[in-house]
Amino acid sequence: MNITFLLNGREVALTDVSPTLTLLDWLRDTRGLTGTKEGCNEGDCGACTVMVTDERGARALNACILFVPQLDGKAVRTVEGIAQVDGTLHPVQQAMVAHHGSQCGFCTPGFVVSMATAQLNGDTGHDDALAGNLCRCTGYAPIIRAAQAAENQPVPAHMTDAPPAAAANPHAPETADALAALYAAQPDAVLVAGATDVGLWVTKQLRDLSAPIFLNRCRDLQQIEVTDKAIRIGAGVTMDRVRALMTDHHPSYAEMIRRYGSTQVRNAATIGGNVANGSPIGDNPPALIALNASLHLRHGDTRRALQIADFFLDYGKQDRAPGEFLEAISIPRQPDRLRVYKLSKRFDQDISAVCGAFAITTENGRVTGARIAFGGMAGIPKRARAVEAALQGKPWTEATLEAVRDAWAEDFQPLSDMRASASYRLEAARNMLSRYFLEDSGGASSVLEVRP
Amino acid sequence: MKDTFTMDCPQPRLLDETHQGVIGTGMDRPDGPQKVSGTAPYTADNPTEGVAHGALVRATVTRGRVAGIDRASIANLPGVIDVITDPRMTRNPAQGMAGEAPVQPGDAVHYHGQPIALVVAETFEAARDAAQRLKVTYTTENAAVTPENGEHEVGEPDAAGDFQRAFDSAEVQLDREYTTPSQVSAAMEPHAAIAEWKGNEVTLRAAQQMVRFNKAELADTLGIDESQVRILSPFVGGGFGSKLGLGPEAAAACIASQKLGRPVRVVMPRQTVFDCVLRRSETKQRVRLGATKDGRLTAISHDDQVSNLDGEGFAEPTSQASQFLYGADGLSFTQTVARIAATPAGSVRAPGEAVGMLAFESAVDELAQELGMDPLELRLKNIPATHPLDGRPYSVRRLADCLTGGAERFGWKDRAVKREGDWLVGMGMASAARSNMLVKSAARVRLTGDRAVVETDMTDIGTGTYAILAQITAEMLGLPPAQVEVRLGDSDLPGASGSGGSFGANSAGSATFLAAKDLRGQIAERLGCAVDDLTLQDGRARGANREVALSELVEAELTAEATIEAGETAETHFSSGFGAHFAEVAVNEWTGEVRVRRMLGVMAMGRILNEKTARSQAIGGMVWGIGGALTEEMVNDSRDGHVVTRDLANYHVAAHADVPRDMQVVFLEERDDWANPIQTKGIGELGISGAGAAVLNAIAHATGVRIYDFPATPDKVIAALEAKG
Repeated sequence: MNITFLLNGREVALTDVSPTLTLLDWLRDTRGLTGTKEGCNEGDCGACTVMVTDERGARALNACILFVPQLDGKAVRTVEGIAQVDGTLHPVQQAMVAHHGSQCGFCTPGFVVSMATAQLNGDTGHDDALAGNLCRCTGYAPIIRAAQAAENQPVPAHMTDAPPAAAANPHAPETADALAALYAAQPDAVLVAGATDVGLWVTKQLRDLSAPIFLNRCRDLQQIEVTDKAIRIGAGVTMDRVRALMTDHHPSYAEMIRRYGSTQVRNAATIGGNVANGSPIGDNPPALIALNASLHLRHGDTRRALQIADFFLDYGKQDRAPGEFLEAISIPRQPDRLRVYKLSKRFDQDISAVCGAFAITTENGRVTGARIAFGGMAGIPKRARAVEAALQGKPWTEATLEAVRDAWAEDFQPLSDMRASASYRLEAARNMLSRYFLEDSGGASSVLEVRP
Repeated sequence: MKDTFTMDCPQPRLLDETHQGVIGTGMDRPDGPQKVSGTAPYTADNPTEGVAHGALVRATVTRGRVAGIDRASIANLPGVIDVITDPRMTRNPAQGMAGEAPVQPGDAVHYHGQPIALVVAETFEAARDAAQRLKVTYTTENAAVTPENGEHEVGEPDAAGDFQRAFDSAEVQLDREYTTPSQVSAAMEPHAAIAEWKGNEVTLRAAQQMVRFNKAELADTLGIDESQVRILSPFVGGGFGSKLGLGPEAAAACIASQKLGRPVRVVMPRQTVFDCVLRRSETKQRVRLGATKDGRLTAISHDDQVSNLDGEGFAEPTSQASQFLYGADGLSFTQTVARIAATPAGSVRAPGEAVGMLAFESAVDELAQELGMDPLELRLKNIPATHPLDGRPYSVRRLADCLTGGAERFGWKDRAVKREGDWLVGMGMASAARSNMLVKSAARVRLTGDRAVVETDMTDIGTGTYAILAQITAEMLGLPPAQVEVRLGDSDLPGASGSGGSFGANSAGSATFLAAKDLRGQIAERLGCAVDDLTLQDGRARGANREVALSELVEAELTAEATIEAGETAETHFSSGFGAHFAEVAVNEWTGEVRVRRMLGVMAMGRILNEKTARSQAIGGMVWGIGGALTEEMVNDSRDGHVVTRDLANYHVAAHADVPRDMQVVFLEERDDWANPIQTKGIGELGISGAGAAVLNAIAHATGVRIYDFPATPDKVIAALEAKG
């Protein structure tokens, strides 16, 4: 593949780029830009964070799971491009020195780029912006203080990049129609959206992806449409945008997304990728099932829709034909009754042990509708149909919750693994319903509110 | 001047009399600008002409022998140069301060994941690919992979008085068992090495903590003389024990480079770091406490079982702090080592205290509960007059001040279990202790005019060595710190303690101090005054009614080298850092999630050399305490022992959101005259020692239930709450 992008303000044109060459390897091994570090090579630690600018603005991304072809027509800034050309340190760099936010210094380049990107965007939510950067020395507090110290400093002019125009690329279709035709013709191709999962096939499993199709230039898939009837989210919409969207419609879902991966991961990952890969512990499907979402699939010019719960057939198996792809997800407009509870060993940046989503409607003290779904409780994201049925029409009271206790075991026989035991998963699922009830009656507080 | 100074008697506080006024200040680290701009060269960043890339091939069986390596299976892959096997290759990193080669297993496999060969190729990708494709056959043997099944070596107890009698006759008894899982250092920089030979001399760039020892380890590994070895570690991306000893990546890089006649670079992927860098042992601990009804401890026992691989001398010193924190009539500490086929165990930050104090300080807290006593009072009441096992006096100990001062600052007396929605809120506390050491160290200081250079093979693994050695020298010679250049991490320079055991600043700092002190004598001589009358400040020397600029007085270079080692004070007095940790947590009654709301550490750890680097060390340590209490857990497959949690997604170091915004550290003013001539104590590990116990005790306070199997993950908290009903 031939691509063009800006690197620290200078145009770079590459020819015959391997589709699975990661930006991190290219920076370090080919360009000799070794400021960007490899700490884990799978998007867990953020030591390789770079800033990528495109028409949507500047975002922090993990270079270790970013394929170079994804950069076509974008601008990249590494830690070497954060200070001014004459060596004058950027305000976040000065603050990191002054507040002792750098000790061993190995995570520092990643932190600096995350901080500089947030500073450029006027983002002062430092805890969230830096959640994807691990540090083993400082205890984080000095870094947060540095970020605060720099937040009102002027943004250096060189931080605003103007990405170059990119030529048409046969491996990166620009429209859904082009994608449909290409994928129908090459049904064995791997679709690469954000590469937060596919990237690990390469960096951890050392797999070769023959002729992948890159989706990031396919604008049709990146649209969000809100009508009176439904919220339609293109499959290529990244999770940072889903979070912003849900803040208005289903804030509990948005709050769960705050803990979904990290800023760098959410900036790359797409909602379509998370659903289509069929993981039993993906965090979107439970919420989408509880919201009664539909999937819009397309093969060539043939389109079909199905309820999301029906898409997940069995562990690792989805109702998707070769050459068929997910075009969009639509959520019916509804009063917000959704609560999503993500449980993980570590609060941020951790795979869910259990992720439960509840949407229960009541009228005159009785349950008129219940949609409950879980990740981490079965081989697929799964509805709690027995519990839903047991609740239907019953009084919305603690006694009813007690009465449905046995129904949970009909719905779920979870596994014990290193994330949680089967008994904890089942107990936590039951207890989540109690939390939902309490929150509904004003008696529970969120996991965030409990901290000053 | 190469005489060795031995620490035989208390030393005067010269650093309190000098005039530059930089010691103790929160000076910015001089290496900061390089680190924030990505220009600090860590090992793997060094461009090396003609370098070949090595990837370690690692055993896929637990125990046995390599029967065959099918070189032909990768011979046709593009870029592959060779598969290196060699009797000098090493099984695992050397233990800290070993100074000799680690086990060189030949074709034997002792644990799953052990390095058995090195594939070398023109590119890293080719080497990694070939290492994965290489066909290896094994003969296998059975081996125990869990401590329960391993052979047990039971040690002789450390004891004083008659524990059993004291315990049996105690008015109140507590007998509890605790478990902690294996943990890892998880330094952010994965291990890396670049080796290059010139003639029969090898230069190794590597991420190491203890260059003086590593040099001896490498020479012994390769069978050459130390004079043929040079090691460079100017920047190290975190250590926490993981880079104390020479690692298999370094040995393999040197061997391959020698065989191929070109430089070889070996960088461990994160998973390899988990598999074959020394872990902290899992522990099983039994704590027995006896007390009178009014809260005087009469019996203390802390027995533990840890594990390691055959041939490894290290055993996690679990009960280290329990042996000197509190006094009793009878004390007894017995350790058992289980021999298992797993990644060997070694030092990880605060070996002993990090997990031992989780259990011991939990037990002390539970005893207070049984006695109906304030846990603070119980601790204050049992501070011993002298070391409970050997009767040595403490050098200087402000444990009581830390406890009472911390309690006041934290609002301890107002503690009451609160409920906020479905969150239960409580407070916990624990004592902190980490014994203090001085390790032989040398340093050289050179002064030309008003510019000084410090040279030692000491390392800065993030701790701030570049800063504090500049400050000590600047203070002693009366120079702005910017006029002091510090050169570290080069084995050709005078040999220091290295970074480990919190003794680096004490040891390398004292050697630097002594070298600078020697220079003060030389300057006084030039000035014609007695050294006691000499004042050095802002590049000027005053004395004997003269004031002369150093730039005039010292036109030709003055140089001094000094060596320090521990002496009689280590025998006559017991030195340790002490402190108190306080934590407030919220526990969700439905999910068992624990959120730490605020923490306070009050610590007395001798003279603080740099307020900023010290504070960061302390906070960083306390965050490790949160990790040990709540999240960090290495999981091994119980069938073959392989590491399951071998990446940063599944081994949970604390992330931002696990750390409360309100995280405070207070240092109490202290000088330890018996410890070393700069009156310091170790800093790097006191923050972790006891911090996790404060969190666990807060959970107990909030919920009324205790967890005995750490970390206290939500499933264990819920199970305990359910059991309580």
